[in-house]
Amino acid sequence: MQSALDPAGGDASRIYWLTMTMTVGGILIFLSVTSLLLYAIFAPPERRAWLGSRRTIIYGGLAFPIITLSALLPYGLIVMRDSDVPKAGALPIEVIGEQYWWRVRYPADGDRVAFSTANEIIVPVGRPIAVSVTAADVIHSFWIPNFGGKIDMIPGRINRLNFTAERPGIYRGVCAEFCGDQHARMAFDVIALEPAAFETWRTEQAKPAQDPEVPLLARGRELFRAGGCGSCHAVRGTEANGQFGPDLTHVGSRRTIGAGQFPNNIGTLAGWIANTQHIKPGVRMPSYGSLTGEDLRALAGYLESLR
Amino acid sequence: MSGRRTGQVLLMLAGLIAWAVQFTVIYGVTSTLCGRGWADATLFGFGIVPATIVSATLITFAATAVAVIWSIKSHRQNAKRPAATTDGFMSHVAILINGLSLVVILWHGISALILPACA
Ligand code: HEC
Ligand SMILES: [Cu+2]
Repeated sequence: MQSALDPAGGDASRIYWLTMTMTVGGILIFLSVTSLLLYAIFAPPERRAWLGSRRTIIYGGLAFPIITLSALLPYGLIVMRDSDVPKAGALPIEVIGEQYWWRVRYPADGDRVAFSTANEIIVPVGRPIAVSVTAADVIHSFWIPNFGGKIDMIPGRINRLNFTAERPGIYRGVCAEFCGDQHARMAFDVIALEPAAFETWRTEQAKPAQDPEVPLLARGRELFRAGGCGSCHAVRGTEANGQFGPDLTHVGSRRTIGAGQFPNNIGTLAGWIANTQHIKPGVRMPSYGSLTGEDLRALAGYLESLR
Repeated sequence: MSGRRTGQVLLMLAGLIAWAVQFTVIYGVTSTLCGRGWADATLFGFGIVPATIVSATLITFAATAVAVIWSIKSHRQNAKRPAATTDGFMSHVAILINGLSLVVILWHGISALILPACA
C-alpha cells in the first residue's frame, strides 16, 4: 500500500519531517494552552493571578509565538526551496494519464531507444528521475505518496516532478483527481531497481516481442490479430500497432494488469479479456465474452508469454 | 492638525512605512534583475540580489529600531503628564506597531533570502 508516512525519497522525507514537526509541536502547544485555560478557570484566584500578569502576556503571548514562528518560517521555506528541484543527469520519463490507466514512455537516451509501457514505472535507485506528465482526455493527478507531492496531469500542458528513489522496492501510485467512473481503479507501481537491474530491464523492454514457438501460443497470437486487438494495442515486432490502449509488447513482464487491479498471470489475463466491463465498468476496452475457454487460454497464454 | 500630532502619527506609522520601503526595494530590484536576465549579476563579489535584500533589510530594520526607541521615549514623557490620554494611547500604539514591524521586516528579509529569486 502507498503511504506518505514511509518516505523513500528526499522530498518525501522532507515533507514527512515537516509534517511531524508541525503535528507534534501543534499538539504540545494545544495541550499546554488547554491546561492553562482549565487552570485559569478552576484554580483558586490567588494561585492563577500570575496568568493575567503583564509578564505572562509578553512572554507567552508575544515572545513565544514570535520565536516559534521565526524558527518555523525558515524551516518551511528551506523545505520548499529544496523540494522538487530539477537535477542534472536526471532520467527523463513521460507519463500520460488516460481513462483509466497510465501510459509510460521512456524517451530515447543516448544510444538507448525509446519505448512505451503502461501502469508501471521502473526507476534505478539513486539516480534522479524527471517525470513529465500530461493527460490525454480529462484531468488526472499523479501521486506516489512515498516519493512526495502530487502533481496534476492536464490535457495540453506538461507538468514536471522530480524525485530520487533512495531504496529498492515497490511503491504504489494513484490517480488523485476524480477522472470518471473508474478513477478509484487507476493505480500504478513504481519499482525501484538497482542500476544494473534497471539497465537489463530497459534493454529487454526496448526489444520487439518474441514470436511464440508453442502452437497454443501461436494460436493466441492469431486470435489477437483476428480479434482486432491490434487496432488499440501495439505489440512491437508484429502488425499490431494500435495506440489507443496500453502497449502490450512486454505485457507479460508487468506486475499487474488493468492499472493495478490484478496480479498479472494467465488466469487474471483471461478474466480481464472476457470481463473488462464487469471488472472496470465503463473502461475503454470491450469485454470479449464470446471467446471459448480454449481460445481465451490461448490468447491469455500468448500475452503472458510476451515478457 | 497640529505639527505635534502629525509627528505622532508619523511615528506610529514609521515601522509600516519602513516595511513598505523594504518591500518595494526588494521586489522592485529582484524582479527587474530577473526580468532582464541579470539575476546572477555580482558587484564587488557579492550577488546583487542577496546584497539588495540584506542591505534593504538592515537599513529598514535599523530605521524601525530607532522608531521603537523614540516611541518608548515619548511614552515615558507622556506617562509623566497625567492628563494626556490621547498622547499616551498614541505612543503606546506606536511602540506596538514599530515593535511588530521589526519582526515583520526580519521575516520578510529571511524569506526573500531563502527562496530562489526568479522562481
Ligand atoms: C477499443 C480499444 C481496445 C480494444 C479493441 C482492445 N483493448 Fe485491451 N485495452 C484497451 C484499453 C483502453 C486498456 C486499458 C484499460 C484500463 O486499464 O483502464 C486495455 C487494457 C488491456 C490489457 C491490460 C494491459 C495492462 O497492462 O494493464 C490487456 C491485457 C488487454 N487490453 C488485452 C486486449 C486483448 C487481448 C484485446 C483483443 C481481444 C484487446 N485488449 C482489445 C483498449 C482496447
Ligand atoms: Cu485518473
